[in-house]
Amino acid sequence: MNHKDTKSTKSDKQGSLSVLRVFVVNNFRYALLLPALLFALAPVYWMLTISLKTEVDQFASPPPWFVFTPTLEHYYDAFVTRAFGQYLITSAIVAVTSTGCALIIGTMAAYALARFQLPWSLNRRLSLWILSTRMFPAIVTAVPLFLMMRDVRLLNTRASLIIVYTAFNLPFVIWMMRGFFADLPRDLEEAALVDGDSRLGALVRVVLPLVAPGLAATAMFCLIISWNEFLFALVLTQTDAAMTLPVGIAGRVTQYEIKWGVMSAAASVAIVPILVFALVLQKYLVRGLSMGAVKG
Amino acid sequence: MLLPVLFIAPALAVLLSLSIYPLIYSVTISLQQETSAGVTWSFENFARLASDNFFLTAMAHTFVYTIAALTCEFLLGLGLALLLNKQIRGRGLFRASLLVPMMLPTVVVGVVWRLMLNPNFGAINGTLKQLGINTESLTWTASPRLAMLSVIAVDVWQWTPFVFLVLLAGLQAIPQGPYEAALIDGSSRWQTFRHVTLPLLKPAILIVLLLRTMDLLRVFDQIFILTEGGPGFATETISLYIYRTAFRFFDFGYAAAMSFVLLALTSVISAIYIRFLQAKEAV
Repeated sequence: MNHKDTKSTKSDKQGSLSVLRVFVVNNFRYALLLPALLFALAPVYWMLTISLKTEVDQFASPPPWFVFTPTLEHYYDAFVTRAFGQYLITSAIVAVTSTGCALIIGTMAAYALARFQLPWSLNRRLSLWILSTRMFPAIVTAVPLFLMMRDVRLLNTRASLIIVYTAFNLPFVIWMMRGFFADLPRDLEEAALVDGDSRLGALVRVVLPLVAPGLAATAMFCLIISWNEFLFALVLTQTDAAMTLPVGIAGRVTQYEIKWGVMSAAASVAIVPILVFALVLQKYLVRGLSMGAVKG
Repeated sequence: MLLPVLFIAPALAVLLSLSIYPLIYSVTISLQQETSAGVTWSFENFARLASDNFFLTAMAHTFVYTIAALTCEFLLGLGLALLLNKQIRGRGLFRASLLVPMMLPTVVVGVVWRLMLNPNFGAINGTLKQLGINTESLTWTASPRLAMLSVIAVDVWQWTPFVFLVLLAGLQAIPQGPYEAALIDGSSRWQTFRHVTLPLLKPAILIVLLLRTMDLLRVFDQIFILTEGGPGFATETISLYIYRTAFRFFDFGYAAAMSFVLLALTSVISAIYIRFLQAKEAV
């Protein structure tokens, strides 16, 4: 009896000790993670508040983080009075069209690279060559592309951006889709082929529905990349009718008298579609951001 | 045999005309000189590089920027990944929130940090003032001394989440077996990290370092928005100098010559990384 008692208190002690230890270790984690979280989000929150503050509150000292009278005047100013509404439309048209083109051209190439046995180990060589074109620093191709677009009189058109973004996204689509096709067992298509389907028929009816989630994820990545792209847009479009949202915002930043509210309002709107896509994409984020190198 | 050709041809046509042809175009303009007697060919644009102080300074800035940002992003990203590689409450929320900076358009990142770092009404100096710190000399992006530090800090803010995300995926792909063996052997936590975690994480580390190095060497957007390479030329990296040469001075030939130096640099460095990666895979 006595013996049993000491034993139980001993194990209780050990139990509470390990609970304490888990508590300390976990809270140590939180003590490090919370500042990181704050550091990641506070600057974005600060911009949102600036976009909603009157000019008096914007310049107030000490800076009001939470208590101020919100106003939508900067949003009205940016998207109704100024041309930001038009930049927004241009950004959307360019992103959607170039993504569509890159998806169609890229998926076909990816399927061929993943499924057909090409001579002279071309599958591997072509894939690596395609990847290497994506590794060119943007400024390297921006200079000649500007001159080429000038020669064919496409400067300051949405078409120039659609063309350039299609080419820019193509290697990404090919690498992502090649990985998704390679993950599929071959038997499924072969069964369709045996059943008398053509290659194209097997691709459209059997393979594409199976890779649809991958295709959707790839499409969203392309949309984000095109929506965020800055350097090509800056070089190729300088008129209100053709410039994208990032170029429009940047143009306001580098002026001498900066309208902070208008700029923050435009920037806040620019991040909305991105955050929505990012939430949907969580599962594919690692794979997409490493061009398929890490299958997270 | 016709079908694969039909499938691949459009992609090849697009890449040849919009990635390869521009490079060839670039080679020709970098070798051409327009003189009164017509167009002549020479290596003058490349010869100029060695004695151009703007170019040499921009290269130095690019290296400082790359090495400093890469080091900070790697150490912080690895730390965060290790902290979140446990089933703790709110993990999904932490992970999602930490990823916000990296998803933002770089232009928006520039705007966010211009607002934060503004000496007059920025949140950073405002908060420091509240804490009783004299902020008169802390002009951040406007100060020649602090501008480089500021743009590096902004890059670390935006891209540490990416390093974190890839390394976390790498950590989670490590099987439990080696850890159990280490536990039986009585290894300390540090020994386990040093001899089990790090070697198994190496491929993910190399890939993330490769991708970050490539992006850092060609950095343009954030610096363009934050400082335009200034004050003076204190934060002008190679991409910004190429942009200035081409689109402010319209010296396309010289800009093309410089862009080949950048291309060569990124190619050599990525080749070294890939060599390391393949060496790992072979073992």
